Amino acid sequence: MAASDKSTKERLLSVLDDLEVLARELIEMLALSRSQKLPQPGEDTQVLELLVQRDKEFQELMQVAVEQGRVHQEMQTLEKEVEKRDSDIQQLQKQLKEAEHILATAVYQAKEKLKSIDKARKGSISSEEIIKYAHRISASNAVCAPLNWVQGDPRRPYPTDVEMRSGMLGHMSNLSTNGVNGHLPGDALAAGRLPDVLTPQYPWQSSDVSMGMLPPHHGNDFGLEPPGHNKENEDDVEAMSTDSSSSSSDSD
Amino acid sequence: METEEQSRNRFQIELEFVQCLANPNYLNFLAQRGFLREKPFVNYLKYLLYWKEPEYAKFLKYPHCLHMLELLQYEHFRKELVNGQCAKFIDEQQVLHWQHYSRKRMRLQQALAEQQQLQQQQPSTHSNAASK
Repeated sequence: MAASDKSTKERLLSVLDDLEVLARELIEMLALSRSQKLPQPGEDTQVLELLVQRDKEFQELMQVAVEQGRVHQEMQTLEKEVEKRDSDIQQLQKQLKEAEHILATAVYQAKEKLKSIDKARKGSISSEEIIKYAHRISASNAVCAPLNWVQGDPRRPYPTDVEMRSGMLGHMSNLSTNGVNGHLPGDALAAGRLPDVLTPQYPWQSSDVSMGMLPPHHGNDFGLEPPGHNKENEDDVEAMSTDSSSSSSDSD
Repeated sequence: METEEQSRNRFQIELEFVQCLANPNYLNFLAQRGFLREKPFVNYLKYLLYWKEPEYAKFLKYPHCLHMLELLQYEHFRKELVNGQCAKFIDEQQVLHWQHYSRKRMRLQQALAEQQQLQQQQPSTHSNAASK
């Protein structure tokens, strides 16, 4: 069908109008021919021919209309089909999203569990060691006061001055000032009050147990900002510790 | 580079020093002499945190020192330690905490003694009731 600028409905209506006009003309001519002779000889055939032509057009247009109606109905069924499929797809999408969410949660929780398993494994210590350690710190009354402790008992949950002076630190007489409560390691030795042989060895220094244990390595520079944790400045410590040849410099 | 002997000595020294930190009076002493204000010392305290690892911690006799070491990482705590009252307070609380278990035990023993006393009284009343 050639593209027409008028819709089928308009064309049908215009054809109907034409038919109406022609029919009226024919009836007028018939009415006139009653009263007088045919004024124009070929006019009635002309009108009749036009009438027949218009009628044919009308029939054709009706066919077209019927076809169009059928096509329109098909279109509607297809649209309905499309809608159904669309809703199906949306439903599937929703379910997929839900499934994804559930899986993501499950995966996350599994990962957390694995992390905690790793952590637990890393921190695992043999129960025997723990019991041994617990025994050590309890037996020496370091974490629990002795049951017969009263006010005035010199024992404490920390090393007292006597104990501090009797260790390796105490044997370095680097710092010459007196401490509060005499808590300065080394001053007693510097004053010559406790000869080396008589200094008791307290178990908190544990020289025998720790044989073979080494401290973490560090560069000798505690004054600088440490980039990692182990390269630290030890200026202050050197005055108090290892190097036995260090002079008694006060680090203030 | 230090020799192995020096390393072992350093281990010993650091073991002793870190445990001395459990003594609040010693901490007060250090604070009053200004050691806790010096950057190298603060860095050293941070370095000493390695004693928290289990393979090192097992050598500590006085575990209170680890808590003190953790607190010493905070500047506010270091500043407060200059105050003698603060150190005294910490000392008191520490000793009281130390006595916690023995106090608990005493209470349990007392409770047990009381319960036994009650039980001893009861059989006498029962026998009276039975004989009637």
